[in-house]
Amino acid sequence: MQPLRQPLPASRRGNPLPAAPLLALLLLLLALQEAAGAPAGSGGPEDSGWRQDTELPRQLLSQAARVALHFFNFRAGSPSALRMLAEVQESRAWINQKKERKVDLVFTTELYNPEEGNKRLGKCSARVFFRNEKPRPAVNVTCAQLIEKKKRHEEDYQLYKRMKQLQNPVDVVSIPDNHGHIDPSLKPIWDLAFLGSSYVMWEKTTQFLHYYMAQLSRVKQWKTNDDAIDFGYTVLLHEFSTQEIIPCHIHLVWYPGKPLKVKYHCQEVQTPEEASGTEEGSAVAPTELSNF
Amino acid sequence: MIEDVQSLLDEEQEQMFASQSRARSTRTFNYDTYHTLEEIYDFMDLLVAENPQLVSKLQIGNSYEGRPIYVLKFSTGGSNRPAIWIDTGIHSREWITQASGVWFAKKITEDYGQDAAFTAILDNMDIFLEIVTNPDGFAYTHSKNRLWRKTRSLTSGSSCVGVDANRNWDAGFGMSGASSSPCSETYHGKSANSEVEVKSVVDFVNDHGNIKAFLSIHSYSQLLLYPYGYKTESPADKDELDQVAKSAVAALSSLYGTEYKYGSIITTIYQASGGSIDWTYNQGIKYSFTFELRDTGRYGFLLPASQIIPTAQETWLALLTIMEHTLNNPY
Repeated sequence: MQPLRQPLPASRRGNPLPAAPLLALLLLLLALQEAAGAPAGSGGPEDSGWRQDTELPRQLLSQAARVALHFFNFRAGSPSALRMLAEVQESRAWINQKKERKVDLVFTTELYNPEEGNKRLGKCSARVFFRNEKPRPAVNVTCAQLIEKKKRHEEDYQLYKRMKQLQNPVDVVSIPDNHGHIDPSLKPIWDLAFLGSSYVMWEKTTQFLHYYMAQLSRVKQWKTNDDAIDFGYTVLLHEFSTQEIIPCHIHLVWYPGKPLKVKYHCQEVQTPEEASGTEEGSAVAPTELSNF
Repeated sequence: MIEDVQSLLDEEQEQMFASQSRARSTRTFNYDTYHTLEEIYDFMDLLVAENPQLVSKLQIGNSYEGRPIYVLKFSTGGSNRPAIWIDTGIHSREWITQASGVWFAKKITEDYGQDAAFTAILDNMDIFLEIVTNPDGFAYTHSKNRLWRKTRSLTSGSSCVGVDANRNWDAGFGMSGASSSPCSETYHGKSANSEVEVKSVVDFVNDHGNIKAFLSIHSYSQLLLYPYGYKTESPADKDELDQVAKSAVAALSSLYGTEYKYGSIITTIYQASGGSIDWTYNQGIKYSFTFELRDTGRYGFLLPASQIIPTAQETWLALLTIMEHTLNNPY
C-alpha cells in the first residue's frame, strides 16, 4: 500500500471536500508509524495484494468505529471520559486475498456521560485491521481532546472516591435493573465496569462478531494495600450477529491516571456461527462459572 | 444461566408487585413503565370494555406452555376489510416493543375520530395488533431470565429450550442466517412453523386473506427494514419499499431527532433466514417491514422505562406513514 502516492479517492458518502484532508493526514501519520514499525501489520505492497473493498457491508463501518472506541476508551483509562460513536463521516476499506480487512475511518463521538445541556461532539480517526475471522483487531486511533485534562482527572478522582465509599459487598442485584434503571449511587460502578468491559469487547471483536454491554451482576470490591480500586463483576455481553448473551467475569484494578489492569474469563456457551452458515459442532454444556 | 440472578429476580418481582396497584381503566394505566403479562392482558380487556364499538380481542391460539395468544382487532365495520398487521414481542427480551404495542393500542382508540388522517385509515381498513407474540418467553423474562429471546418449547434430544420465533417462518427456512443448534439463540426449530406461536399467526394471515401491510417490531438498533433477509436478491418492489421506508424514517426522526437507517434486512443488518416479513412478502403482502426500535447499544434491551413513551410516539409516526401509503396504494 502506498498511501502517500495515491490520489485520495472521492468519499463514497459525498462528504464536502474539507473533511477529506483529515483522512489524508491519517494515512500520512499511519504510513510514518508503519515505517517506524508499529504492529498494525500490513506489510509491504508485495504482501497479500490489498485492493479497495467496494463490497464492504455497511454495518462493518460502524462496527469498526465502535471497536476503535473500545480500544480508545480502554487505553485512555478514564471512566468519566468514556466516548461512544455518534457518526461515521469518512471511510475507506481494503481487502486482501486472505480476506483480511483494513478500514480507515473518521468519525464523531459523543460523551457516554454528557454534561448538562452539553452535547459536544468529538472527532476521531482510526485504522482498524481485522485479521479475517480472528478476534483482537489491530487498532490505531487518535481522538481530538474533548474534555480538558485537568477536568477529566478531577472527575475521575471524584468517581474513585465514590467507589471507595461504597459498601462491600455491593447490595445490588443487577445494574441496570430489569427496567433499565441505574441508581445514581451505582453509576460509578457501571462506568468503571464499562471501562473494563471495553477491553474485553475489543479483544473479542472480529469482522463478524461485535458486542454490547447488556447488564452487570455479582459486583465485588476488595481492599488493596495501595488504595487502588480492585473490583470484580460479571457482565452479560450481547453478541451480534449471533444474538448470544455471553457472561464474562471481569476483574479490574484501577487508580485515576494509571493504566487499567484487566483480567477476564468469558463463558463460551458454544462456538459462534458465521454468516457463511457452517454447521455447528454439538452444543457444549455450560461449564461451571469460575468464581473469583 | 447464572444461578444467583434467579432468586434475586424473584425478589425484585415481589417488590414490583407491591408497589403497583392494578389499573382500573386505560386512563390510569401506567404507559411509562414496563408491565407483566397479566397486566398487559388486563389492559387489553379494559381497552375492549371501554371501546366496544372499536376494539375486540381475538384468541388466535395457545402458546407452547398453554397461555392464550391474543390479537386486538380495531375495526369500524365492513366485512373483511383490507388490514394492517402489527406484532410486537416476538423476541421476548425486547421489552420496549410490547410496551410500545400497549401504547399503540391506546393511541388508536384516542386518535380515531380525532385525527383526520388516522380516522381515514381506520374508516377504510382494519388494524390487527398482537402485543405479546411470544407469551411464554415474556413470562420467562419476568420470572427467570430477563434476556430470554426464544420461545420455551422443548426439543427432543436436547437439554436446551426454545426456538427463535423469527427464524421459524417458511422463507429460506434452515438456510444460512439461522442456527441448527437447539442451544443457539437463533435456532430455527426442527421445521418451518414448528412453533405454535408462529403457526398461529401464519394461519390467521392465511385465513384472513386480505392483509395488506405486515409490520413486525423488534429492538434494538434503530432500523427500518424490508425483505429479504435470507437472500441477496432484491424484492420486486424494492424501489417502492425503499421510498416508503425513507418517508417513514423521516417522519419518525421529526419528533425527537432519533436517527434510523433503512434498507433490506440482508444489506442493513445481517443475513437472517426464516423471518416473518420474508414469508409475508412472498405471500403477496407487499408492505412488509421490520422495525428495530431504540437504542443503538447504550442500554440495548434494558432500555430505561423513561424512554417508552418517546419511543412509542416517534415509532407511531412511522407506522402512520406506512399505513397511509397502504391506504392510498391499494393492490
